Amino acid sequence: MSKILRIDMSDLSHKWEAVPKEYEILAGRAFTSAVVNKEVEPMSHPLRENNMFVISPGLLAGTPAPSSGRLSVGAKSPLTGGIKEANAGGLTADRLARIGIRGIIIDGAPSRGSKDWYSIVVRKDNCEIVKTNNYADKGLYELIGKIWKDYPVKPGIIGCGIAGQRLMKCAGVFGNNPENTDPGRYAGRGGLGAVLGSKRIVAIISDSTGGEIPTPKDKERFDRGRKALREALDKHPVTGKLTSDDGKPFGGLKNYGTNILQNILNEAGGLPSMGFSSGRFDGAAKISGEAVHELVDKTKKKFGDAAEASYAHACHPGCVMRCSNAVPYEKTGKLHVSPLEYESAWALGTNLGIGVLHDVAELNRLCNDLGLDTIEAGNTLAMLMEGGLIKYGDGPGAIKALKEAYSTDSALGRLVCSGTQTAGEALGVTRIPVVKGQALPAYDPRPIRGIGVTYATTTMGADHTAGYTIAAEILGIKGTVTDPRALNKAELSRAFQATTAYIDATGYCLFIAFCILDDDDGFKGMTDSVNGFLGKDIDVTEYGMAILKNERAFNKNAGFTEKDDRLPEFFRTEPLPPHNVTFDVTDAELDAVFKGM
Amino acid sequence: MIEIHLYGNLRALVSGSNASEDTVLKLEFVENETFAQFTGRLGLTPADLGDCFINGNLAKADYVLADGDRIGLFPFNMVLLCGGQHLKGHGYTRDDVDVDYY
Repeated sequence: MSKILRIDMSDLSHKWEAVPKEYEILAGRAFTSAVVNKEVEPMSHPLRENNMFVISPGLLAGTPAPSSGRLSVGAKSPLTGGIKEANAGGLTADRLARIGIRGIIIDGAPSRGSKDWYSIVVRKDNCEIVKTNNYADKGLYELIGKIWKDYPVKPGIIGCGIAGQRLMKCAGVFGNNPENTDPGRYAGRGGLGAVLGSKRIVAIISDSTGGEIPTPKDKERFDRGRKALREALDKHPVTGKLTSDDGKPFGGLKNYGTNILQNILNEAGGLPSMGFSSGRFDGAAKISGEAVHELVDKTKKKFGDAAEASYAHACHPGCVMRCSNAVPYEKTGKLHVSPLEYESAWALGTNLGIGVLHDVAELNRLCNDLGLDTIEAGNTLAMLMEGGLIKYGDGPGAIKALKEAYSTDSALGRLVCSGTQTAGEALGVTRIPVVKGQALPAYDPRPIRGIGVTYATTTMGADHTAGYTIAAEILGIKGTVTDPRALNKAELSRAFQATTAYIDATGYCLFIAFCILDDDDGFKGMTDSVNGFLGKDIDVTEYGMAILKNERAFNKNAGFTEKDDRLPEFFRTEPLPPHNVTFDVTDAELDAVFKGM
Repeated sequence: MIEIHLYGNLRALVSGSNASEDTVLKLEFVENETFAQFTGRLGLTPADLGDCFINGNLAKADYVLADGDRIGLFPFNMVLLCGGQHLKGHGYTRDDVDVDYY
């Protein structure tokens, strides 16, 4: 029986509620966005007591459905001022689902001037709000180790680091990985770590002792669906097995991780480098997924089983795609950072002109330790480079600047955590790559315009995952396309945004999309598993659109208009080499994406 | 001259190559050669190849190469993260291409 846990941080109380009828089929992003739209005052300050922090495991989390353990968190974003949902793997979705929790809604804040820090411990039918001043102001690698000692039941942990505790807009929500060796499972975007910090919460610790695997309403259909999806995922060249039957590298994600894209986007001329000034980067190979694959093999050869290095690493229990990795220090074979994703390698490498794998891994480790979103932190560092404080390509300079963030009294330390727009404006930069205050990720919207439409129109601020049109645009899609350049970008972006919202609610990793769009059996497997679990049929697009409607309603009430659905001017005026094109989608086309909604 | 950037297992076409450096092969330009003929010259079949690029644009089998082109060659298991592989119509990655949209 699933239920909702409500926590009020103003008096440190909690209560349990049954899931109301209107939320009956909502989970993950569908749940967080429905609650935020319904219950958060749209004009409230995101870092004061009237904002809420909402947590929800995806619908199928904790079940044997493949790669279904994503956790959504939502709130009004301090970075964008609009609604935000961010999701991640890790352990927490699985733990919460097994103790029957559909969502946790955290309201209020301790009285102003309160100096205490708290953690929330959730168990089966039990919640404790514990004073944990000894968890605050700590690096997160140390913190997760300490929590697993204090709670020796292998709990899921999410929370905020130093950046969130100081209410910085680059702060993400960290999560421990299944081995508890790295806090790198981030629901990174939108500064939601700062929302937790504003509620004086360091960690949310979930213990599934005594819990059970959620039971589907129609088990036969659910099992048929998940097995069909599993089969489709395994045989697909993107999501498939590590090696083929003859022992050669097969699945792209398992071998090279998401950072397989570094070299591909570079060849396609859509890899934004040096602050969105070129579509190619001559250091791309050095920080690519292939380079990590090679380093892992080399380290394993040298250190054997002692090497803390891997690819094909699972970010949550039950993931079959396993796109994560563990990047070792070359000299010792010990873990440097896990994972190093494409977006992070791009934000902290390519975008800064840094082509040294060690420096990029170190910057990523620092972000993980401080509680920073890598995409926002990387773009913020780029503003320091645009503004002349550091030179493009200066890895040690960027590392030094980021380390300032540990200091309680460093203005530079605050600036690197303050977000791209704030830092850019503070430094007199006019090329600030943000939409709704959130920095752009790793695909340049000039050669790849459909993703530009997604960046501009999603309620989330610039976000590639909100409607991932990349491949469709560069390569064309199923059905009617004759030339990908002729695609109706608005239609494409809207369709992807709705499907994405559905997947974000199911708990399935968005990456199943690579396979389900390819394989009709895989698509049916996905819908069968979801419908079998719910015991009723839901329509993918309709369900997704309902989520988008909630999100757009919130933003509208928070004061957003279509004028906020725009890319910064320089994307229209500065052509990007090597294709030498600008973003030329008209405002009317952008507004057409959600016309009439 | 054609400049070929090789990735993944195709790097093996250049001896001593490694994954953390650019692996570049330079071959003579041949008049009126299509991309399909060119990959054949390297001993590669469509099944060996993933998403490939010519001057940053998706490579199509019947594209006629021009002198000075930059080609990016990715193996079958290195593709843009997406769905629709078997319907992209460029003839690579999957054997069961049933529709050619290009």
